[in-house]
Amino acid sequence: MLEVSSNQIYSETYKALRSIDIDWGIAKDSANLCKWLATHNQFFLGSILKTTDLYKSGNISTSVNDNTYDKPLSSALMGMVLVEYVASNNRTWEGYLNSPKFLVAAMDLISHEQKCHLELSDRHHNIIAITDKEKLYVDLNSLSNKNEYFFLNVTQKNKNININELNLYDMSFATKVNKKCWEKLKSMAFDTYVPESDASKSGAGY
Amino acid sequence: MKTGYLFFVNRLIQIKKMKINNKTKETQKQSLLREPSKVMKLDRLGSFHQTRLSFSRQLIEQLKNNKWTIKISKWDIDKNGIGNAIISSVKGANEFCLVVFCHPINDQDRSDRVIAEKWDMTFSLFNGKPTQAEINYMSKNLKVQEAGHHLPKQMTLSRANKSVRVFNSVLSSLSEGKQPSKTLINDIGYLVRTTAVYGNGKFGIGDFDSISENSFLKKPFQAEMLTVYLIRFFSIELINFLAKIKGEVSSVRLSDEISKHIGVGNATGLGMAPFLINHPELLHKWINARETAISKVLAIENLDIKQQNEIINLLNRALSYCTQWKVDDQNQSVRIKNLRLDLETIINNPSTKKLLSQTYPLKNIFDFFVDQISLETEEILHSIFMEPFSNLVENLTEEMATVETKSVPIKYKIKKVINIIRQNYDWALKVDVNEQKENHFFWYTSQAKLEPRLGVQVRDHGSEKQLPFDIAHQVQNTLKLLETLPENMTISEVMIKHPETRNIIRRIIINDTSEYSEIQDNLHSDKTKPIDILRCKLSFFGASKYDPKSDLWTRITLFQGAPLPHQLQEKNACDWIFPYLSDA
Repeated sequence: MLEVSSNQIYSETYKALRSIDIDWGIAKDSANLCKWLATHNQFFLGSILKTTDLYKSGNISTSVNDNTYDKPLSSALMGMVLVEYVASNNRTWEGYLNSPKFLVAAMDLISHEQKCHLELSDRHHNIIAITDKEKLYVDLNSLSNKNEYFFLNVTQKNKNININELNLYDMSFATKVNKKCWEKLKSMAFDTYVPESDASKSGAGY
Repeated sequence: MKTGYLFFVNRLIQIKKMKINNKTKETQKQSLLREPSKVMKLDRLGSFHQTRLSFSRQLIEQLKNNKWTIKISKWDIDKNGIGNAIISSVKGANEFCLVVFCHPINDQDRSDRVIAEKWDMTFSLFNGKPTQAEINYMSKNLKVQEAGHHLPKQMTLSRANKSVRVFNSVLSSLSEGKQPSKTLINDIGYLVRTTAVYGNGKFGIGDFDSISENSFLKKPFQAEMLTVYLIRFFSIELINFLAKIKGEVSSVRLSDEISKHIGVGNATGLGMAPFLINHPELLHKWINARETAISKVLAIENLDIKQQNEIINLLNRALSYCTQWKVDDQNQSVRIKNLRLDLETIINNPSTKKLLSQTYPLKNIFDFFVDQISLETEEILHSIFMEPFSNLVENLTEEMATVETKSVPIKYKIKKVINIIRQNYDWALKVDVNEQKENHFFWYTSQAKLEPRLGVQVRDHGSEKQLPFDIAHQVQNTLKLLETLPENMTISEVMIKHPETRNIIRRIIINDTSEYSEIQDNLHSDKTKPIDILRCKLSFFGASKYDPKSDLWTRITLFQGAPLPHQLQEKNACDWIFPYLSDA
């Protein structure tokens, strides 16, 4: 295992996603979600690497309307925009999601920044995660990496829920990650850099 | 709502009650802020100077007000200047230690550039007192800097080289019992020159968020500034130590006068430029604080005699500083010459003293001279005007940090965003993005030490990996798209259907409430001079003696004129703008 800072997690993820041509704004969102998961002691690295593989092979969707069990919507990539879309249009979204923990991270970030309450439930309408003012309740056991059908909607009032509050103050800024996975992420990030040449040296004033 | 930079007295607006000092009339006013379209131009940003708000100035205020103590807690340096030292800085129960390693290095390996791999000295600011095991760990990893593995308790990572000519000359003089040549000290300004100071989680060091409860780090770049200040102290102690070994009883220590004029050099390249573009909310905070400070001092109704004299003294100090600001760069030399002439004109014009004794003195002086002075002079006047009024501007330093928002506000609809573009991005809409000259440069990151660089489209490889700094191009494309969509559609819906717009829509919406968030020039244009971006950021650091080596990099000095650690509690410790060494 390797210890890395949350700043490194953000910047390396951002660049790694850019290396496979994910749009700048989406790559930034995803990097923020990875940072959130890492600082809240949740695994993220394997999931984001898997997302990049699925994206490259065309087996993951970035469309809210066009997703299936076999090609679910990527919550790692589209989590932030999806939550904003649901919150701004005050509507319910339903569909297949991959790695919903990224969506939970987006719910918490947006709930804090924009003071809206959001609710994620499974195909049986069991609540998986709900934001309530400054709190996040989440059933971590139900957040598998499997593709599942979910509902996401704005919720107006507190509900009686029997899932646990995630302690948002229990944060870890230095995170231990799998060394091999980290090296893979870094090598993807490295692809966004331009090789050194005499011309490029002149571009730095040498 | 945008406002003009108008100083008409009847348009002064009330903000809040502030007392300038006991002798000065209370004022409740500040002038209207300058338009972003005036301030956020590269040539103006590239004319900024140090102010009371600069981060190095904030650090010295912090050290003085909170009675920090600074001392050498370990000195294991040999007669050749090689070894390990620890400089401890203590604020109450908190201790931050500068861990120093000095290495042997061949002259041919010594380079200012970020791509260098060997340095005379490597440093880290450590949160707390390091154990021997931690020191041993750092001894292996600090010397390779970016290539090493670093500890979360390390708050910064830095390295420096000696300015060999000055270092050897000063060492020789001190060991012979003489003070060094003041001319040499002033011409160079430092004994060592840093080539990078990394902070906030870079390369695995600690994230500032993790210790942000500590007020010391709530303000921007304070850990980096403390690092540089302690490096300066170390460099002076090192030369005194080596002189004593070399000259034994006949040696002398550097005088306080000369020590105080020694800063820390820095070679700053393009690495700094992307920061201001990548952090629009923070850029707004910095500029907004500066503009607010300017507007407050221009709204001062009257100055007492002491304050009038202080302004005159500062004008003279600025002029003296300019006479000792010598550079090889032709363009900057002309700018300095014009600055000097402008200052002489202002000082010698009888109207200046007259205006100072009348109502709205600073505003009227500015208005009187503005049409006949350069941008450099305009901005140095702002630095001068702020200087005596710490009571007016100090609170603004609390407003210069921000927690950047991760999401895009959900309340916006297309109609509103189109309006923002038309009102705030007029500069971007005017760029002819099809013209070759507006697509001359592109920005990218090099594999060499991940250094940001500027490429020329028709010459260099790598444009497919360029950074998204073509703001004007993105704005125009997005406006075209938005105009084809229903105007009451939420902007969230636009972004979910067109994810490629998210980056620029985020910027545009930030700019709606943070008007100084955007540099209002096309950064891909053949007219772009990155040195202006560097100068802007360096002015907020509190740099002096900008010494451009091209349009792409500059040398500067930090903490020149700042109090030495044992002078921190002196009455005027915080008044060190425009460093000047007499008889130099």
